[in-house]
Amino acid sequence: MQQAIPYKSWPLPCIDATSHRARSTTTLGHNGRGKDVLNIVSENAVIVLARKGCCMSHVVRRLLLTLGVNPAVHEIDEENEAGILNELGTICKGTENNKMVQLPAVFIGGRLFGGLDKVMATHISGDLISVLKDAGALWL
Amino acid sequence: MNSPTPQFVPSRLSIYEPIHQIGIWGENFKRNGNPNTSTSLIVEVDNKLENESETTSHEMLAPTNNYEQEASKPIDKIQRRLAQNREAARKSRLRKKAYVQQLENSRLKLIQLEQELQRVTQQGLYMGGVLEGSHIGFSGTVNSGIAAFEMEYGRWVDVQHRQICELRTALNAHISDIELRILVKSGMGHYFELFRMKSTVAKADVFYVISGVWKTSAERFFSWIGGFRPSELLKGFLKLLITGETFSFTTQASNLAKGLFNKVLVPQLDPLTEQQILEVCNLKQSCQQAEDALSQGMEKLQETVSSTVAGGPVAEDSYIPQVATAMEKLEALVSFVNQADHLRQETLQQMSRILTTRQAARGLLALGEYFHRLRALSTLWATRPPEPSLP
Repeated sequence: MQQAIPYKSWPLPCIDATSHRARSTTTLGHNGRGKDVLNIVSENAVIVLARKGCCMSHVVRRLLLTLGVNPAVHEIDEENEAGILNELGTICKGTENNKMVQLPAVFIGGRLFGGLDKVMATHISGDLISVLKDAGALWL
Repeated sequence: MNSPTPQFVPSRLSIYEPIHQIGIWGENFKRNGNPNTSTSLIVEVDNKLENESETTSHEMLAPTNNYEQEASKPIDKIQRRLAQNREAARKSRLRKKAYVQQLENSRLKLIQLEQELQRVTQQGLYMGGVLEGSHIGFSGTVNSGIAAFEMEYGRWVDVQHRQICELRTALNAHISDIELRILVKSGMGHYFELFRMKSTVAKADVFYVISGVWKTSAERFFSWIGGFRPSELLKGFLKLLITGETFSFTTQASNLAKGLFNKVLVPQLDPLTEQQILEVCNLKQSCQQAEDALSQGMEKLQETVSSTVAGGPVAEDSYIPQVATAMEKLEALVSFVNQADHLRQETLQQMSRILTTRQAARGLLALGEYFHRLRALSTLWATRPPEPSLP
């Protein structure tokens, strides 16, 4: 895996103000354990955690793309799924989502944002763009 | 009342009806094993007549020699007989009325059953296509889930119709905003109720929901992932609300209103403010984007299922693994139905946030009326005269 720049230390937007942020790679098939996954999450402004070949993650991705965000997508294999979800569940307990993390799960700004439900609802109410901007995923 | 005698008596209409016809009405009621509510009406009528005529019944069925000896009887006997005849004729008319009532009820029931049959046949054809040769396609739980949904949905449509009428009356009557708000809330809640129902039956058989067999044919024509397309809805709304058209759907009014955007003709209109128009346009765009995302997800699912089913060697006869894997992937369809309904729900809620109570009421009325007309279109289509047969 390439040396990714940690999210926290990202510099200010690049010179060309109208361009979107540098595309993050779509990491594939890494059998990451919980900790690895957390690292990835904190390294990206927007990342989608999904099962392999999940069509719902495709939906999330397409929606974010139309807004001008190219989210990273991390695919989880079935055998690791339970473990990773557990870890995420315990770590994310502080946030408002106390229930089990559902896949696909969207992380914005290093924090768990929610599932497709949440993304849709926020998009319809018109707040998604500002959320993405706040997280630095969108400029303009 | 039990043994008819062939006596002929003049009725008020000067039609000679044999008395035994009264027996016929009675026998018809007893013989017809109709499990309708109409039987209770007939039993009631029966009982009423029984009670009234207890005293006269025996006399009516007196031996025939009464009639032959009529000329030699005193006047009061003649009077009594005339009274009996009147009584008999009256009862006959009442029975006839009850019989006709029963016929009408049966006719309505028959029409309903025919429609039900048609719908079930369509569903049966659709199910039969899945599992050839077996008329019991699915397990009992699936069938009962579908049957339960069909019943609930029938009720849902009735309540919907009632709500639309209430809204129309309320808007006409200029009721207070507080009362209107209650109607709007219950109208919205009614749609959310439908989404819940659909979610439940989707777990039993998602293809059933997506195919739209539970809807009328015209509604099915516009169907998108098992329901209406939210953005299409908004387009209709926008036109209606911008022009501040009244809640009565008249084409003249809408054409007139289009040309007279700033001139509000009817005092109770409250067209959208510019801010509102902006928000509705944004909503429409967001809706469109979300729909596209879901549609593309569906396409991806189709590709996935298709390639899974087609995978593996064709030369061999065994396809079970591929089909089994495809089955798993199809589970995702349930999520799609849920997400589509979720989108519809969010869109409705956002609309209610943007609009005033009155505007929301008009919008709900327009929406409900639109679907009502689609259903009417379906019925009209179903009863259109048959095509002339080809030579």
